[in-house]
Amino acid sequence: MLLSLITFLPVVFALVILAVPEEKYVRPTAFVLGVGQFLLSLLVFKDYDPTTAALQLVEKTEWVRSAGINYFMGIDGISLWLVMLSTFLVPLIILGSWTAIDKKVKGFHVCLFLLQTTMIGTFLAMDAILFYVFFEASLIPMYYMVGIWGGARRIYASMKFFIYTMLGSVLMLVSIITLMGMTKQLTGQMSASLLDFYNLDIPFVAGTMFSTQSLLFFAFCIAFAIKVPLFPFHTWLPDAHVEAPTPGSVILAGVMLKMGTYGFVRMALPIFPEATEYWAWLFFSLGVIGIIYGALVAMVQPDIKKLVAYSSVSHMGYIILGIFAMNVQGISGGIYQMLNHGISTGALFFLVGMIYEKTHTRKIEDYGGLAPAAPLFTILFIIVTMSSIAVPMTNGFVGEFLILTGTFMANKAFAYVAVLGVILAAAYMLWMVKRVFFGAPGKVVNEFAEKNKSLDISKREFAVMAPLIVLIFWMGLFPNHFLSWSEVSINHLVKNKTSYQLQVLNSDQKSAVTAQTKSK
Amino acid sequence: MELSFGWNDVFLVSPAIVLFLFSLLPVFLKVINGNKADSLFTSYGVSLIGLFVAAGFSVAVVFRQILEGGSQLAFSDALVMDGLSSFASLMVIVISIFALLLSRDSLALKGELFSEFCFLLLNAAVGMMVVAWSNDLILTFIGIEMMSLCLYIMIAMSHEPIFSKESAFKYFVLGSFASAILLYGMAFLYGATGSTYLPDISEMAAEMVLTHRIFIIGILFTLVGFVFKVAIVPFHAWTPDVYQGSPTSITAFMATGVKVVVFIALIRFMLTDFVLTPDSIISQVLQWLAVITMVVGNFVAIKQDNLKRMLAYSSISHSGYILVGLIAASLPGSQVEGVSAVLFYSLSYAVMTIGSFAVVALFEKQHDTQVNINDLKGLATSNPYVAFSLTAILISLAGIPPTIGFFGKFFVFSSAIKQGLYWITIWGVISSVVSVYYYLRPVVYMYMKEADFGQQSMLRDDAQSTKFTVFFASLFVIIAGLLSQLFYDLIGHSVMTLF
Repeated sequence: MLLSLITFLPVVFALVILAVPEEKYVRPTAFVLGVGQFLLSLLVFKDYDPTTAALQLVEKTEWVRSAGINYFMGIDGISLWLVMLSTFLVPLIILGSWTAIDKKVKGFHVCLFLLQTTMIGTFLAMDAILFYVFFEASLIPMYYMVGIWGGARRIYASMKFFIYTMLGSVLMLVSIITLMGMTKQLTGQMSASLLDFYNLDIPFVAGTMFSTQSLLFFAFCIAFAIKVPLFPFHTWLPDAHVEAPTPGSVILAGVMLKMGTYGFVRMALPIFPEATEYWAWLFFSLGVIGIIYGALVAMVQPDIKKLVAYSSVSHMGYIILGIFAMNVQGISGGIYQMLNHGISTGALFFLVGMIYEKTHTRKIEDYGGLAPAAPLFTILFIIVTMSSIAVPMTNGFVGEFLILTGTFMANKAFAYVAVLGVILAAAYMLWMVKRVFFGAPGKVVNEFAEKNKSLDISKREFAVMAPLIVLIFWMGLFPNHFLSWSEVSINHLVKNKTSYQLQVLNSDQKSAVTAQTKSK
Repeated sequence: MELSFGWNDVFLVSPAIVLFLFSLLPVFLKVINGNKADSLFTSYGVSLIGLFVAAGFSVAVVFRQILEGGSQLAFSDALVMDGLSSFASLMVIVISIFALLLSRDSLALKGELFSEFCFLLLNAAVGMMVVAWSNDLILTFIGIEMMSLCLYIMIAMSHEPIFSKESAFKYFVLGSFASAILLYGMAFLYGATGSTYLPDISEMAAEMVLTHRIFIIGILFTLVGFVFKVAIVPFHAWTPDVYQGSPTSITAFMATGVKVVVFIALIRFMLTDFVLTPDSIISQVLQWLAVITMVVGNFVAIKQDNLKRMLAYSSISHSGYILVGLIAASLPGSQVEGVSAVLFYSLSYAVMTIGSFAVVALFEKQHDTQVNINDLKGLATSNPYVAFSLTAILISLAGIPPTIGFFGKFFVFSSAIKQGLYWITIWGVISSVVSVYYYLRPVVYMYMKEADFGQQSMLRDDAQSTKFTVFFASLFVIIAGLLSQLFYDLIGHSVMTLF
């Protein structure tokens, strides 16, 4: 019940928000509900057993029996942290958008909670069609979020986002239906369960794209690559990020992009092992191109938000690299970097939004000399920047180090090029920091000094940033506190990459396992 | 042939008989009343009662089928009463009920001559039932003519002076043309097989389709006649004009009722086993038609600013999706899935279409029945419930989960994939992505653009039954999406009686 509760409680919250009589109570109610939801999701740790790779807290009921579609939810080490990230970011977003969202406040929070349901559902669904349902449904609230509360070109950006993402996912649907037909040939019973997909032995011919496995694999990969986004499918991302309101950008970068990388780990790798191995070079190349290209484009952006958006493209390239390295270091790094990116890029978008709210400009040239005018803001920004460029002691370092180690073990050439990206990241971020925070006071700073207004962040804004900063250091200094929860699942995935199977842990086995560990 | 029939036959066709008898009542009451302008309420109430009684009889027929097991034949085997027929009867009745609800509020009809209108509506429904029940091509033709003639007059009865007359005339001319082709094809089939009785044709079809050229020509002409009625590209040219010009309630009625029953007649025709493999010429022709229909319907709809025209093109593209299911239904090995998918899609299509046209009806004004996408501006602020309902319906039309439209497409495409028809499936899903653009455009206008000054009072507030239809449809697409197993099971049971 716990997983369903976590998934669908936000829908109830959305209804509660609709019923709130006065607009001024909407934000506090939403915040309390969001925090409650996060605390509730922490209960998962109580029941979660990190010593087994099996699927836990499973819920399974028939949904569309004749097509073998089940309501099938479960959690393991791969999805655990992403669920936590989704529940963790939402209360921060509510707090962070306290003043940024000034119209249709009710509608915004309804959208946010509905989005939360679809995100958590995507990470927990263990049935391909259920996954697809959440994956697609998440587009609708995001579409509204960009389209209603976004900037000047919001309608163009939201439409592009929707259609681009959907184009990828319908091909995945065709592929899913084909796999469902294959399960029927194998077991006599049509099934959309991922566990049955893992058992399939799909014919693969090396050297051609037109073997069954490769075609199905690419249908999945295009859907995920658009979502990630992987070069050359990234063009929707800068548009969506620049036009989205701050909370929209945070949730888009923080969680929604992870649906793509999660899809790679959950589906593409274990269902199509031969194709993954054979085509890994392609994804390595695209990942590396994405890293370098994203960094170079970020370097020349005049707009801070766009810079962060392109840095996202670059960072997501690392995650792809780690995943396709197909070794323990790579995949752990990939999963760790998903969290890091959610936290540090989310924090960057928050910070950019905070300063934009006061100055109404995101042009780098308008700033300069911000450091003396806004000292606290500067400190926070620089800490987050350090995390983003992977300085040791921050979370980014752990993730990128693991990924690069993994890549090095899998393919040295790509690792050499990818390391360049680390340098480039330092270049574009630090150059931006220099131009915005140091040097002679710019237009904005002078303006505010004349009016004698403060540019620094408020207590509320500090409260938004504090948990993120804590996590940056916590994850940087004690990575094992986090990695140990998913270690077994990742080892299991890597060890059995050609014959991946996932068991379901039911309650009797669970007590047996705990008894064993206790006796040891 | 000996003509004999008993009470059993009468019972099996009782829904049609009931509808016919009730259709006479409004006119009869008017005459008794001294031919004065009839009260809207009497005609409306009597027809509604008639539809509910007919629904009761249909349910009774269903129970009888369950007790007796499987399908039954009536009137010297000319009519077949199986699960498909019962599905069709109930669909036609429900569609007619909603058409009646919408007609009551319709501004184009002004509530004048309503008793005559009810007579025509119920008789069109009887014609639709005959199309779906018939087991003989001649009777199919009679049913099609019966429903079409009623529709021509119903469209022409509109008080809107320009578009409706054009629309009625165009529909009449092109409809007659299509009927002629249909009849021509049937004549060829009769010439080749010596029969118009479907089971007879079925016995010979598999063999003749390989050897007999006249037979193939007959099949193709008959198919053309049928697809004309369901607006498959390139036989779709009448659809946008006719749908746009007709009173909206009648557009909803014919866009759903006619399509559902003609597709059921097509199922019966296709199940005569003249399609053997996906590579046979007839199957190839149908596959191309399906692809062209999906692509053309969706691409042309992008450019439409008139809501009814946009929905007309969207309904063309939905015919294409249903045709995909029909192709699977015609091939050995996936007949059960194919027929179920077609029926499920028809159900979802009917609800979504009625709902979307009902929303259009809410925007019509006394002097101007043309509704543009601009009229939707700022609806989310002025009328959030209608805006939400329309959004739900549009999302379902676009096939985005978790609505019923998604499951409709899912079943259709999975039946096609079972036959290895990947290429039409891929065209289908890609054109459905294209469709997202125009289905979301109204959403953009409703939620993301502010109303022009003085536009707030655009929505009619006197049309209660239309509003009811809108809310019913929007709730149905969401709830039925979550409970699609229930509907699929019901359809599955009715399909099993066919085989």
